[in-house]
Amino acid sequence: MAALTTGTAAAGTGPSFSAAPRRGAVSIVEVAVLSGCVVAATLIANRYAADIMIRTFLWAGLALAWNIAGGYAGLISFGHAAFFGIGAYTSTILLLRYGVPPWLGLLAGALLAAGAGGVLTVVCARLRGPFFILSTLAAGEVMRIAALNWQSLTGGAEGLEIPPLPSAAHMVFQNQPPYLALMLGYMVVLFVLANAIEQSRYGYYLFAVRDDEDGASAIGINPLLVRVSAMALSAALTAIGGTLFAQYFLYLDPTHIVSPDISFEFALISAVGGLGTASGPLLGALIIVPLSELLRGSLSQSASGLHLVIYGVIVVVVMIYFPSGISGAIARAWSALARKAAARRVAKKTA
Amino acid sequence: MLTLNAVGRRFGALWAVRDVTFAVERGEIVGIIGPNGAGKSTLFNLIAGAISPSRGDIRFLDHTITRAKPYQVARLGLARTFQIPKPFKQLTVRENVMLSALRRHGTRRRADEVAERTLEFAAIRHLAETPVTNLTVGLLKKLEVARALATEPSLLLLDEVMAGLTPTEIRELMAAIATLPQRGITVLWVEHVMMAIMNVAHRLIVMHQGRTIAEGPPATVAKDPTVIGAYLGETYAHASRV
Repeated sequence: MAALTTGTAAAGTGPSFSAAPRRGAVSIVEVAVLSGCVVAATLIANRYAADIMIRTFLWAGLALAWNIAGGYAGLISFGHAAFFGIGAYTSTILLLRYGVPPWLGLLAGALLAAGAGGVLTVVCARLRGPFFILSTLAAGEVMRIAALNWQSLTGGAEGLEIPPLPSAAHMVFQNQPPYLALMLGYMVVLFVLANAIEQSRYGYYLFAVRDDEDGASAIGINPLLVRVSAMALSAALTAIGGTLFAQYFLYLDPTHIVSPDISFEFALISAVGGLGTASGPLLGALIIVPLSELLRGSLSQSASGLHLVIYGVIVVVVMIYFPSGISGAIARAWSALARKAAARRVAKKTA
Repeated sequence: MLTLNAVGRRFGALWAVRDVTFAVERGEIVGIIGPNGAGKSTLFNLIAGAISPSRGDIRFLDHTITRAKPYQVARLGLARTFQIPKPFKQLTVRENVMLSALRRHGTRRRADEVAERTLEFAAIRHLAETPVTNLTVGLLKKLEVARALATEPSLLLLDEVMAGLTPTEIRELMAAIATLPQRGITVLWVEHVMMAIMNVAHRLIVMHQGRTIAEGPPATVAKDPTVIGAYLGETYAHASRV
């Protein structure tokens, strides 16, 4: 949080680089936040804090992946846990059965998830708004039930366990630093990719299809192709996060992995942070994930369940008072400050 | 460059457009007029690919576009505006226009150059950085025209672009449209503001109850008894003959 305030205080401009968070540019805020993450990850010694940080980085990457479909292309999905699950299960099954290293397994999971995401979007091609959202929710549930019942493949409710034998080739580590590096890398790569998309031709096609499909079609954009590819890309990147998750926790079961709660978290983090910009999911995750973990940790003994109430209230307050999310709020505060400064300069000159 | 051959479209039992045949030549400004419900908008949507004809065929340049999708038609160089503007709501005016040029030009830099020229032409360059949600109806109409032009079409379909504009804006836009043929853009234009279309169009096609009932230079068409009859009823048509 300290990084945020120092970030906005410093000014710096250039092409596709701005002081406050905005779409299509990397801002001081994000650079400060990302550098802060790197520093914190190298200095951290406390196991509990490091664990929270690992989850936070992973969830930031996952929210960034979700935002490609939900934020840029307007394909709000409450079924991304399905893709997360495909990633986790594919690499784990390949590892346990055939000894395929998860480094390769994550590619297989990503391809499979891309296919699933593409097919889902083609099948739901005519559905819009709430109907599309509900169908993604249903798709997620179908995946969960399939994972529960296909016992020969997924181990059903008992789940799958990855043997905790440290091996870099098998992406299993004894200590936290390699995991910190892995999740931090995932987050940074996703952030850079999201920013590249925002500034690219493809990114503008996503915005166009999101904002008006007929209008996009009239200027030569094939809306179905754009929607399908956005969902496939988002699904593939989510699946990679699923593999990383499996390799960190070394245990998967359908109720925890392919649960709607996971899908909601991706959507919620992006919405609270700010939909449709790369800074949104990044800031959202860095605030929400540690907050919910800390609330859970401090309240679970005295008032079990209270942490969810507080968490819910915070989310509602942000959504009401900052509809464009934390990132949008920072941008507005920054432009208000800039206006005031400009007004002061004018006042001084005329005085 | 655009040919419609016996084009018809049925909605249930109703033929909204029936047996429409006409051609638009390169460099023309052709107006389509007719009372409400004459089938003008349906005809437009048929040409632009938003709906497909029940019969007949449509050709544009060397392509049959009878069953083509809107984005395929657009890629061939046929741009359209929408009667109810369809801007990209979360983007600025400049981004909206830039997006139209992006497919052809590939990079933002080059697309921005096209956008700059087009914004100038549509007289909305001073609004380039404005979010489109802040625009009035009149400005949204101008933005529609700018977005269509930025695709650099060879044929432009205008759908009631004058509705909602002030008299001054109408005169400005009339002058702008009149220059389009010199820029290599042929125009097919549906319009209710008669003053505008009568003065700018080279040729008018009149539609009534899904059919074309008259065709010719604006001055001739305006005196045609069938046309007057379609607009005002048979009594007036007879009266005008006297």
